[in-house]
Amino acid sequence: MISSLYRRVRRFLTNIDATHRQKAAALTVVEMEELENIFALLLMGSFTGLPSPPTFLAVELLPFMERELRILCKRAESCNDMLAEMCGTIGID
Amino acid sequence: MTTLIIVIGFSLYLILYLTYGKKLERDVVKVSNDQSAPSHRLYDGVDYIPARKEVLLGHHFASIAGAAPIIGPALAICWGWAPALLWVWLGNIFIGAVHDYLSLMASVRYDGKSVQFVATDLIGKRTGTAFYWIVFFLLILVVAAFAAIIGGLFVKIPAIASAYTYKIIAALILGMLIYRVKMNFSLATIIGIAMLCFAIWLGTVTPFKATYITWMWVFFFYIVIASAIPVNVLLQPRDYLNSWLLYAGLLIGFLAAIFAFRGFEVPAFASFSPVLLGGKPTPFWPAIPLVIACGSLSGFHSLVASGTSSKQLDKESDGLLIGYGSMFLEGFLSTIVVVAIAGFGYTALKTAAAAKAVEFTLNASNWGATFTGISAKLGLSKANLFVQSYADMVAATWLSFIPAKFVKVLAGMWVASFAMTTLDTTNRLARYCLSEMCAPMKESAQGLYNVLTNRWVASIIPAAIGIYLAASGNWLVIWGSFGASNQLIASIALMTGAAYVAKKLKSGFANAAVIPAWLLWFTVTAAFIWFILIVQPGAIAAKPVPGWTVTVILVVMFILNFVFIYDFVKSKSYKKAE
Amino acid sequence: MKILFFTGKGGVGKSTMSAAMARQLSQQYRILIVSLDPAHNLGDIFGVALNHKKHRFTDSLYLKEINLQKLCRDYLQRETRVLTDTYRYLQTINLDNYFSVLKYSPGIEEYALLTSIEETLRSENDFDYIVFDTPPTGLTLRFLALPWITVTWIDRLIQIRRDILEKRHTIYRIRGVLDDKETILSYDEDDDDILKRLKKLKGNYQTLSSILQGEDCGIVLVYNPDTLSLKESKRLIDGLYELKLPLRLLINNKIQQKYTAMADHVDSAMRTLAPAIPIQRVAFSEALLDGQNSTLYDIEETLLSPFEMK
Repeated sequence: MISSLYRRVRRFLTNIDATHRQKAAALTVVEMEELENIFALLLMGSFTGLPSPPTFLAVELLPFMERELRILCKRAESCNDMLAEMCGTIGID
Repeated sequence: MTTLIIVIGFSLYLILYLTYGKKLERDVVKVSNDQSAPSHRLYDGVDYIPARKEVLLGHHFASIAGAAPIIGPALAICWGWAPALLWVWLGNIFIGAVHDYLSLMASVRYDGKSVQFVATDLIGKRTGTAFYWIVFFLLILVVAAFAAIIGGLFVKIPAIASAYTYKIIAALILGMLIYRVKMNFSLATIIGIAMLCFAIWLGTVTPFKATYITWMWVFFFYIVIASAIPVNVLLQPRDYLNSWLLYAGLLIGFLAAIFAFRGFEVPAFASFSPVLLGGKPTPFWPAIPLVIACGSLSGFHSLVASGTSSKQLDKESDGLLIGYGSMFLEGFLSTIVVVAIAGFGYTALKTAAAAKAVEFTLNASNWGATFTGISAKLGLSKANLFVQSYADMVAATWLSFIPAKFVKVLAGMWVASFAMTTLDTTNRLARYCLSEMCAPMKESAQGLYNVLTNRWVASIIPAAIGIYLAASGNWLVIWGSFGASNQLIASIALMTGAAYVAKKLKSGFANAAVIPAWLLWFTVTAAFIWFILIVQPGAIAAKPVPGWTVTVILVVMFILNFVFIYDFVKSKSYKKAE
Repeated sequence: MKILFFTGKGGVGKSTMSAAMARQLSQQYRILIVSLDPAHNLGDIFGVALNHKKHRFTDSLYLKEINLQKLCRDYLQRETRVLTDTYRYLQTINLDNYFSVLKYSPGIEEYALLTSIEETLRSENDFDYIVFDTPPTGLTLRFLALPWITVTWIDRLIQIRRDILEKRHTIYRIRGVLDDKETILSYDEDDDDILKRLKKLKGNYQTLSSILQGEDCGIVLVYNPDTLSLKESKRLIDGLYELKLPLRLLINNKIQQKYTAMADHVDSAMRTLAPAIPIQRVAFSEALLDGQNSTLYDIEETLLSPFEMK
């Protein structure tokens, strides 16, 4: 009985800890993803018509850019729907 | 009495969560864990990550909690404590929390897309675009309302001003520790909290005195600068400290309320139309949603729920706790506020009158007609009333070992901190809304487009209008307009949720969503009409420029409201069977 | 090992001059002469048929013609194979079509040229001199500028990449790993494949850049005694100074007896444009017009390598 209570309290504290860590890192996570998006755009922009570095740079790095490509595509898809995401991330009210 | 209400409130929320909530989950939204949530299906390690429901609850609740659940009840007490509580309880359970929950779940079913996207899909493109417009004006009104509140607090209790300044410094230091030095997180947290307590204490001994107008200028520059610097310098660490303030305030408030054992000095039911907004008799219906927003119903929440929380939901069945449950928590917060003011507000006012050697004429019979005016004259209205009542409540219990000055500043900091963060975050969002609103202009009026979407111009416009209204406008009118706009978003979001449930899911119990949705829409529309026709003329007569500014904003939103309902009916979204 | 690039407007006699110098130097040293000009004359000048491979003319003189088109095709094929291998399991674009579009990308020619120069420099190290005959001015300036441009771009990309890693590190310090599913994104500079690759590329290009700007590299500018040639040369000299590439020798080619005044005029203008750079004059070959089949057009054996001059 005591041990289960103890376990519950521990879990509660762990959750609070995790919540805080999540919140403290939330905006940095968004920043990081945006930077990755920018990195991908700069590098591979030539494939979409943007002025960019010599194309071969993109091709040289392409094998390692799986994650960045995914983010590029995902952001391209969702860039029209950012209002709510920004509200949630920045924490309106 | 205070204790009794707290217990009743808590039980009410708990029981209805388990009964009505579960029914919503089962029959309206038709939750099933067989289908995996977007956080798993679209997992990307960044936005779409499943979070434990307790963690997500903390995150979501901290995002939606703010200063509004405190200010609203402080005003609404003019109707008496019973009507206010009624709205905080029943309005929350049957309309507000349903609104939050449906926004969350509809978003989850739409792969984490926002309620704006869902509205565009179910109702029409114009509705989606309307969000940018309404939110933009809403943000300006928020700046106006909150800047005025903080200004009032800083003037009345200068210790809060200084404590807040020290807190900013603490936040900057904390930001460096966590994001630059990358100190161990727990250690940094402890340092942060210590700095926070120190800031509050230091504030009590070194108050910053300044005039209201000075503070308005300070806020203006603060907004423009704070919304231009990187987020990990100030915004993130400050938000982090705020969440600790929230817990402290909530915990102390809850304990104090339970142990206060105080009767209510405020009449239960004062009047149906007390003098409130714009100095006019304000009918309970349709005005109550305009006065008490976040504690009971708030359009902003739909954006937050469908913005990030839906992408992090581990499984569909967690949604009830996150969407529905966190709204109940906020309702509980408002309950504590009502209890504090109902129990201690009258005495606070009487004491203040005695201190100022002014005759105190407020009593139970003229409460409705005179409460608002008298509390304003005594400088104990809105946030100030709450802070004083809260401090008195804590002092009346075993928690009185905490020095009264400290508690007062703590309560004031709680309100001020949340209101201040809203100031510069709204500016960041307003910039974005403005650029989206101007998008059609890109080809046709390029010069104007370039000017309007310039970083600094886009930042200054909402800040300038907001601060101007805060400095010169009739605050109660601004608060009412803010409430109206917020509930307009809520109305659209709830209609969208109802459309989803009725049209896409064809749920049997869809009326649980559809009826509140229509009720809300009618209320909001009636409120707008009443506001524009009855309140505004008075406001315009008193101060033409701010009066007209607010009127124009309201009229624009009113028109959008009708465009929306036209699109809604045309899309036949509300019909259950096709 | 010393490197010489023969540059100049089309038709001034670059190929001839480079061949002549190579021929002369080969009496003392081991020389490799490489023609990068798509309009090859190297084989014609030496009277041999050249293909893409190195050809032994004498023991101390080797000839090579670079086929630019084949270079581009090979390069693209290599990179496409990388793509096909990596993305074999992903649904992607139809690579064949994409491949054929890529050959029109700006920069492929320059890059292909640069790669072949780099390769040559790396692999052919038992020569004392490598002499390059370059394509017309525009392409030459572009591929000579490429190492520097590339380094600038790579620097910027490295900076952004470092920002990303820094933020990941912060997130890791705060949040740690959430649950089993989350793969730990690399936040250490030594772990990140992309950053490592970028640094390696930067290293390569910086090495190339420093070779091209270094003591053992020399640009030879060939021009004719006329105003058009002068104007073109000015453009080249400006470009070379901007890229900090070492101009070491000027050759005034096709001087005719009757027009020495013009030649003097052009030379003095060149001296103003490029002070302290030695000028060598080469006479117009009558044998050309006479129709005599003379290899190397009877060039006097007085062409000195700029490295021999000090």
